[in-house]
Amino acid sequence: MKKVSMRVKKQPLLKAASVGCVVAALAACSPASDAPAAAKPTAQAAAGFEPAPAAVPRLTPAQYRATVADIFGPTIDLGGRFEPDMRIDGLLAIGSSGVGVTSAGMEQYDAMADAIAAQVVDKKNRAMLIPCKPASDKAPDDACAKAFLSNVGRLLFRRPMTNPEVTAYVGAAHAAGTKLNNFYDGLAMSLSAMLSSPQFLFRAPQVTKVANGQGVLDGYSKASQLSFFLWNAGPDVQLLNAAQKGELDTPKGLERQVERMMASHRVEAGVRAFFSDMFHFEDFEALRKDNLIYPMFSRREAMDAQEQTLRTLVDLLITNRADYRDIFTTKKTFLTSSLGAIYRVPVVNDRPNGAIDPWQTFEFAPEDPRGGILSHASFSALHSPANRSSATIRGKAIREVFLCQKVPAPPGNVDFTLVNDTTVYKTARARLTAHSKEPMCAGCHKITDPMGLALENFDGSGAYRTEENGEPIDASGTLDGKKFNNSYELGLALHDNTSATACLVDRLSSYALGRKPAKGETPWVEKLKADFAAGGYVVPDLMKRIATSPEFYRTVPPAATQTASAE
Amino acid sequence: MKGGLECYTHLYKYWYISTGLRLPRGTPVIGQGGEAGCRVEGVIVEARTLRWILGAGVAGVSLFIQAASANALESRSYVVSYFSQQLNSRDGDCPGGVNPDDQAGQYAVILQGLGYKPDEVKAMMAEWAKGGDGEDRINAIVNARAIIDGQQVNAYTHPEATKDPGLKFVTSKVGYGFNLDGKDGEVSFTDPQTGEKGVDNMLSRAIGCNQNFRGSWDAPSAYGEWIWVQLKDSQPAWLITITGEDIDKDGPVTIRLTRALEYLKSNLDGSPRHFMTYRIDPDPRSHNEFKAEIKDGELKITEHKPLSLLWNALSSPVLNLKNTHLRLKMLKGDTLDGLVGGYQPWTEIYFAFSHNGIVGDRPGLYYAMKKAADADPDPKTGMNMSISTAYRLTAVPAFVVESPHLRYQSAEVK
Repeated sequence: MKKVSMRVKKQPLLKAASVGCVVAALAACSPASDAPAAAKPTAQAAAGFEPAPAAVPRLTPAQYRATVADIFGPTIDLGGRFEPDMRIDGLLAIGSSGVGVTSAGMEQYDAMADAIAAQVVDKKNRAMLIPCKPASDKAPDDACAKAFLSNVGRLLFRRPMTNPEVTAYVGAAHAAGTKLNNFYDGLAMSLSAMLSSPQFLFRAPQVTKVANGQGVLDGYSKASQLSFFLWNAGPDVQLLNAAQKGELDTPKGLERQVERMMASHRVEAGVRAFFSDMFHFEDFEALRKDNLIYPMFSRREAMDAQEQTLRTLVDLLITNRADYRDIFTTKKTFLTSSLGAIYRVPVVNDRPNGAIDPWQTFEFAPEDPRGGILSHASFSALHSPANRSSATIRGKAIREVFLCQKVPAPPGNVDFTLVNDTTVYKTARARLTAHSKEPMCAGCHKITDPMGLALENFDGSGAYRTEENGEPIDASGTLDGKKFNNSYELGLALHDNTSATACLVDRLSSYALGRKPAKGETPWVEKLKADFAAGGYVVPDLMKRIATSPEFYRTVPPAATQTASAE
Repeated sequence: MKGGLECYTHLYKYWYISTGLRLPRGTPVIGQGGEAGCRVEGVIVEARTLRWILGAGVAGVSLFIQAASANALESRSYVVSYFSQQLNSRDGDCPGGVNPDDQAGQYAVILQGLGYKPDEVKAMMAEWAKGGDGEDRINAIVNARAIIDGQQVNAYTHPEATKDPGLKFVTSKVGYGFNLDGKDGEVSFTDPQTGEKGVDNMLSRAIGCNQNFRGSWDAPSAYGEWIWVQLKDSQPAWLITITGEDIDKDGPVTIRLTRALEYLKSNLDGSPRHFMTYRIDPDPRSHNEFKAEIKDGELKITEHKPLSLLWNALSSPVLNLKNTHLRLKMLKGDTLDGLVGGYQPWTEIYFAFSHNGIVGDRPGLYYAMKKAADADPDPKTGMNMSISTAYRLTAVPAFVVESPHLRYQSAEVK
C-alpha cells in the first residue's frame, strides 16, 4: 500500500463525509437514512424527572480495541497509542464526554486507522474479512466496495450509513483505487477514513423529539448506549437489527435485548470496565514500587493485584449475584502464587503440566486478618507511595472511591517534616497525630486518617505486618460513629454504611450515561437507589434496571441538545 | 503449636470444614478423597471454633481421627536459596601461591607440558591472544591434548589420558565441614564455627588452590556464585520441611529434603522470594527424610543416611551424598543457613567441572580429586571413589505441598 498517497487522498474524503460535522454538533446530525420512525416513550419516567443533554463520549481505548476486535478479529494490531483519558467526578467515563482530540491524538488515530485498514485488506486476511471479490484486483469495483464499506460502516458508526456517506466512502475508494491501480488499496483508504472519523471515535446520540417536550434517543443510539454500558463495546448485529426494527422502543423489546446481553459472557467485560474505572485501576499503568523496600512487588504483581480484585468482583457480584456490600467483607478471592507470597498464603498451581492456570480460588480463614477488597493489594499498594504506606492517601481513596465524597486537596505550603520522621514517631498514627496539630491540616486528616490507619497493617506492597519500626500498629478508628479495631472491621463498617451503596448507584448511573445525572434526573437515581436496596443490593439487577429505565434514554429535544452541546 | 499457617505444610488444598466434634487443637487428621483422590492430612488448628484444616478438595473426603493426643506436630518449610561448595580460603594456605589462575597462564603451562619450547609457547600465546582462527587453533591443541592409542582426544572427557599437572593442595588446618569418619587425621580440618576437629572436606583441599574456587563464609567463591546463578534458574528448586512438636524449642524433629516441580522464584533484585508455594515432585528419587534434632536454634540430622536429589547436568545430574551430615542455623526472619556434607562420588563432581566451562586446568582437577578421595574404595582397585565435601546451604520460608499430579504427566505423554 502506498501510504503517502493514501494520506493525501484521505483529507478531502474526511471533509466530504464527516469531518465538518464537529464533535459538538454530532448530536444534532441527521438520523440515519433507514432509522425507525420517531419513538414514543416506552414507559413512564419517574415523577418530576427532567432529562439533561446527552453526552458525546469519545471511545475509550478499551472500547476502541473491543470494537476493532469484534469487527475484524482479535489479532489485528492497532499499532498506535491513545491519548490519556480525563477523570471527572470520579470517573473516566464522564471525562470521556468532556474531551476532544488534539492534533497529536489525531495523528495517533490516523496511524492506527491506517494500520488496521492495511491489515484488513492484507492478502492473508482479505478472504475472511471482505465478503466479496472485485472483478479485478487492479481496478475499482464499486459494488464490492459498497458491500464491504456499508456493512463495516454500520458496525463502526453503530448505525446504518447514510446514503451520502456511502456515496462518499465508495467514491473515495474508487478514486484511490484508480490512482493506485489497486482495488484493495483504495478500499483500505476509505476504511482508514472511517476509522478516523468522528462518527466512529465519538458516540454521538441521535435524538427524537417527543410530545411531552422531552427528547428520546433513537433506536440506534439506544443500542449504542446500552452496549457500551453493559459490554463496554459497540452494539452487535443482533442489537442493531433490533434497533432497526424498533424493538428497543418498546418495553418488551428492550427488556428482551437487555436480558440477552446480561446473559452473555460479555457482560463480564462491562463489569470489569466499570469497576476498573470506579477504582482508578488505570493508575496501575504507572504504579512503581521501590524494589529495595518491596522486592516482591514488580509490575507482574501489580497486574495480578488488579486482576485479583476484578476476578473477585465478577465472581461475587455477577456469577454469584451476591450483595454488593459483601465486597467489603468477602473472604473468597482468586490468587496467583506470586500474590500468595505477598499475602503469605499457599497458592498451588495444580493444573496438569502444560496447562497451568496461575489463578486459583482462595478463601482466607475466618481468623485471617484479610477480608474484603480493602485488604487486596489492589487497594493498599495502589493507594500508597513507592516507598511506604500512606494512611492519608488510603483514607482519601476510601472516601472518594467507595463513598463518593470529595476530600479537598492539601494546601500548597504543608510542612511534611513530621510525617516523614520515623525516628521519633515510629508509627503512621504517631506521625499523623503530630502532623494534625497543624491547624490547617487537621480538618482533612480527621476525615481521611481514621480509615486509612485501619489499613496500616498492610504495608506499601499489600503485605501484612503487625508493627512498624518496632512499634505495634494500632488499627482502630471510627467511621460515621461506628468503631472498628482493624481493617476487617472497617470493611464491616463500610458494609453497613448506606453511603457506600448510594455511591455505587451514583457511579454506575453516571458511567452508563457518560455524565453525572443532572438535578432533574435525581428522581430516577433515587428510585434506582431504593430499588437497589429493596432488591438486596444485587448489581446485575441494578444494571438491568438502569438499562431498561425509560429515563436512561431520555434527553432534551434535538434543538436544545444542539444548543447545549455547542455551548 | 504456633498457629494456622505453619500447619499448611504437606497440604494440597485448604478447606475449613465445620464439624460437630470438639477435638483438641493439634489433633492430627488423615483422609482420602478430593478431586484427585489423594491422601490428605492435616491438624486441627483451632479447636475453639471447631474447624479443621484439610489437605484435599472438599468433595468426597473421608476423614479419620488419627489420635486425639497432645503429640501434635507442626511443620515449617523452606526453599533452598543457595547451594555450593564451601571453602575457607586464607592467604598462605597454598604454598608458593595458587595454581595458575588465568587462562593464558594455564595454556602456557599446558603447552610447555606438551613439549613446546618457551619461544614456541610465547608465539602461540601471542597468536591465541589475537583471537579468531589463531585462538581456535591453540584452543584445539589444548583441548585435544589427551592421547589415546596415539590419537588426540578431548582432554576433558579423557583426563586420564593427559599428564597430571600436579595442582597444589590447600594446606590450611581450618576448614568447614563435618567429621565424617570420627577420626582426626593429618589432613583433617578444624571447623572455624563449631571448633569440631577431624573435619573431613578433602574436596576443599583438592580444589581450594584454584582461584575460581577460593572463597570464605562471607565471600563465596566466584565459581559458587556463578554456578548458583546458573542453577537456580535452570532447575526445579530443592525443598526442606522440618516437622516436630515445637520447632521453636530444642527437641527431636524430622527433616525432609525434596525437589519441587517449580523453579526458585526470585525477586526483581535477584533475591529469593519468600513464601512462594512449591509442589513436591512425586519422583521418589528426590525424596529424603532424616531424623534430626534442634538444639540452641541449630538443626542437625542425627541419622547419617545417603541423600539423593535430582540436580542439573551443569553441576551433576544427581547430588549423591553418603554419610550425610547437616547443620542449619534457624535465623531471624525464618531463614536457614548452614552446611550439608558427606561423601560424594568425585567423578560426578569432575564431570560437572569438565563440562561447565570453568576456567582452570580441568584434567588437573581430576587428578587432584582422585588423589584426595577418601571414601568408598573400589573393591577391585582399592581406589577411593568418593570424596568428603561440605556445601553451604541457605533457605528461605516457603509453602510446600504434595503434588498428586504425576498421573497428568503420564496421561499427557500418551
